[in-house]
Amino acid sequence: MSNLPLLLESELEVRDQGVSEFNSGTPARSWYHYLLILACIIFAAVSVGFVGTILWNSLPTWEHHAGTLLGHTGWQAPNGPFGGLAMIVGTLETSIIALVVAVAIGLGTSISIVFLIPRRFRTVVATLVELLAAVPSIVYGLWGLLVLAPWMLNTVNPWLNSWPFAKEIFGNTGQEFGTSLLLASIVLAVMILPTFVAISREVISVVPQDLIEASLSLGATRWQVIREVVLPTAKVGLFGATFLALARATGETIAVALVAGGVANVQFHLLYPGTSIAAWIATEFGEAGHNEIGALMALGTLLMLINFSLALVSRWLVSRQRKVLAVV
Amino acid sequence: MDQEFMSKMETKVDAPATLEATATKPERGAAAMQLKDVSVSFHGRTAVRDCTFDITKNRVTSLIGPSGSGKTTLLRALNRLHDLTPGAKVGGTIMLEGTDIYRGDITVTELRTRVGMVFQRPNPFPTMSIYENAISGLRFNGIKKKSILDEAAESSLKSAALWDSVQSRLKVAASNLSGGEQQRLCIARALAMDPEVLLMDEPTSALDPIATLKIEELMTTLKERVTVIIVTHNMQQAARISDDCAFLLMGEDRAGELIEFDTTEKIFNNPIDSRTLDYTLGRFG
Amino acid sequence: MSDIVEIEQPQDAGHEMRDEIRQISDKFRARRQLRSRLMVILCGVALGVTAIPLGLLLYQLFRRGLPVILHASFFTQLPATPTLIAPNATGGVSNAIIGSLVLTAYAAVMAIPIGVLVGVYLAESSSKLAAALRVISQTMAGAPSILMGLFAFSFILQDLHVGFSAIAGSFALAVLMLPVIVIASEIAVRGVPNTLREAGLALGAKPHKVSLKIVLPAAVTGIVTGIILAISRAIGETAPVLLVIGGGYINSWKPLDPVSALPLSIYENAKSEWPSLRTEVWGIALVLVVFVFVLSLSARIWASRKQQAR
Repeated sequence: MSNLPLLLESELEVRDQGVSEFNSGTPARSWYHYLLILACIIFAAVSVGFVGTILWNSLPTWEHHAGTLLGHTGWQAPNGPFGGLAMIVGTLETSIIALVVAVAIGLGTSISIVFLIPRRFRTVVATLVELLAAVPSIVYGLWGLLVLAPWMLNTVNPWLNSWPFAKEIFGNTGQEFGTSLLLASIVLAVMILPTFVAISREVISVVPQDLIEASLSLGATRWQVIREVVLPTAKVGLFGATFLALARATGETIAVALVAGGVANVQFHLLYPGTSIAAWIATEFGEAGHNEIGALMALGTLLMLINFSLALVSRWLVSRQRKVLAVV
Repeated sequence: MDQEFMSKMETKVDAPATLEATATKPERGAAAMQLKDVSVSFHGRTAVRDCTFDITKNRVTSLIGPSGSGKTTLLRALNRLHDLTPGAKVGGTIMLEGTDIYRGDITVTELRTRVGMVFQRPNPFPTMSIYENAISGLRFNGIKKKSILDEAAESSLKSAALWDSVQSRLKVAASNLSGGEQQRLCIARALAMDPEVLLMDEPTSALDPIATLKIEELMTTLKERVTVIIVTHNMQQAARISDDCAFLLMGEDRAGELIEFDTTEKIFNNPIDSRTLDYTLGRFG
Repeated sequence: MSDIVEIEQPQDAGHEMRDEIRQISDKFRARRQLRSRLMVILCGVALGVTAIPLGLLLYQLFRRGLPVILHASFFTQLPATPTLIAPNATGGVSNAIIGSLVLTAYAAVMAIPIGVLVGVYLAESSSKLAAALRVISQTMAGAPSILMGLFAFSFILQDLHVGFSAIAGSFALAVLMLPVIVIASEIAVRGVPNTLREAGLALGAKPHKVSLKIVLPAAVTGIVTGIILAISRAIGETAPVLLVIGGGYINSWKPLDPVSALPLSIYENAKSEWPSLRTEVWGIALVLVVFVFVLSLSARIWASRKQQAR
């Protein structure tokens, strides 16, 4: 339970409730009961207020400028037009690249932790991954900005640009700084890796030992067991892990703000600077006037929508996974 | 039970019951597996020891005894499943058709294609169909030719008495089958590899009586195709289906040991060791 | 001769395909095993790759940050602005330290009581309200933290006409911490065995007293773990506080005063033109990371102590 991402996926199967004031027949209401209900009301109010406030503030923008926000580039403070396309594209680019990298490495890591590492090392390694998750976003951003960016600028970018098809993917840069969409993607990948590993590890480790022994007894090699029995059985849950990691990637603010370069252009060249929705809100809000705040709030609702739907899909997938195993 | 056999046994009642039963010792056929001083220990703690007996080809050999006597532990040594367990050590010699399965010229994957296993709880692969489950072993081993796969599927499902009931729905998910059918699918899955030996670890203990009966009926035909070694905690089942019996018991050092090995007839009607008699008479569980 | 009982030798049938099967599988065996070995190594490499960023990061943190924090003034002095004459006069970060403590303290006061109570409710009730709140808390727990900043800005700053202040930042952090505490508390209370509850009721205690006096104390370990995790997260977050706390340059406890925070001061100084400030941020980052690590590890140790106690 000391694992934040795992808190999001439920250990909360609806267990046999049985014995509690709420489920007993007697309608006796104590002060304790009312206190609990009060707390629930406050919590609900805060949550509703959370969504509602941001939505309310963004209504004017949605009413009048939805098209600009979603379809145009070019963000002109203080009075508009506020084109959010660059942020949307940037979010998609960085999140998806980060996801691909994180899943590739994360899957191998989970498999190692569950199957390949001797039991006594497992706690150490698991703790390591948790510590990765605990590092604050700002520290990743700082590291990315002050350590990785110069390294990218001096070493990696020139090397990448020497590839034959470099121009299409990377763009030939005369950059001053090493900040770029690519760097943001890499930093994001590092940040969402623990999320993916935590959940995929859980999902893989509950594949019944029975199935593993049965496949071994048929003469399968270790890798065959993993690839043809364990992974397919855990497939749904692994998708759940993917969606959650993606959700986290889209919501990352500060690290991206520091290393993506902060330029609001729709950009498909990865070595050029860009931005994401969350990063843009963070960087622009400080100086924003009333109209711009409304537009930023609108971006916020977009972010909320993306994040919430990804998280809900993830949760649904993980609960579906449980059903796959229940049938066995 | 063979009538002729029974009558011969009856005439032996007057003969002195000595340990030199060599006079009546039956000629055995070829040995499928041979165990000599086999023991299994985990992190130094012995779980089962002193197992020496031969498994005769095309017969059903049952490992019986109260719980904790090491039957399953011994069984799992026969297809090297203990290789998975850190700290597990298997001592003694286990031969499969003349090859030492631990130290001989045979890889563990090859061994497992020749010695199959069926587990206590039915465990078909949940993401695969009936057909895919049946031929999963062949696929693992690199066999892709459809004609072979189809033939193996049909043959093994027939041997498991499942073909008639599933041939029209082979592509259906395996989880749609009942518990007993799933277990027979697992038997088919193991048989598809055409192993020499089939290990069965309490295969009916998780099934209802009717399903259990179906599988027990299977045994007589199964043994024409494979040598069966079955662990069962159900004495009556052992008496019903097995030809030979190995009785194991936990000793004072909490390690299981082989007490007696003989034909089922002998074990249940005229065992040599008094402990065997006590067990078969139900004096302890 | 008649003494020898012969065992019927049964037939051995149905092996037409055996040779072909064995032949094909023998052919492939070596290749499969090689592949298995390669993939296993690849997975191990992936594990190594996972460890690399953490290693590099920690290395840089200590290399650049340790010299900075070895001066007591780092912790005790207020920040100063470097000038051309005195480019190294960065002062300390006492305002950020105090600020972080203040923010976390106020946020904890707001979030813990409500969070625990809601968690208890969710564990003990199977009503529709409980189901809805559960989905809400899980969704909120994963929400981008910048949104909490937006919420606090709109509600506290605009609607309530409070200026940049500690209370605004605390509010944002409380909204952040709440779902984490709710989820952790629910897990903790659910973890209490039903038998304990039943024993209490069998003794004639009223349900709410059972909940309060028997179940809650038993769940304390899990609840505390959740609180530690929530605090650990809150301390490191920049986005929620960035918009609303104002970055005060004084040490203040007052809720209505603007404050600074450790993550915020990193953010402000990371892009500074002064190298001395850019070096200083490593010290702040080191303090932050050490603090967060200590909290995370404590949570883990605390949680496993609970396991042992069982």
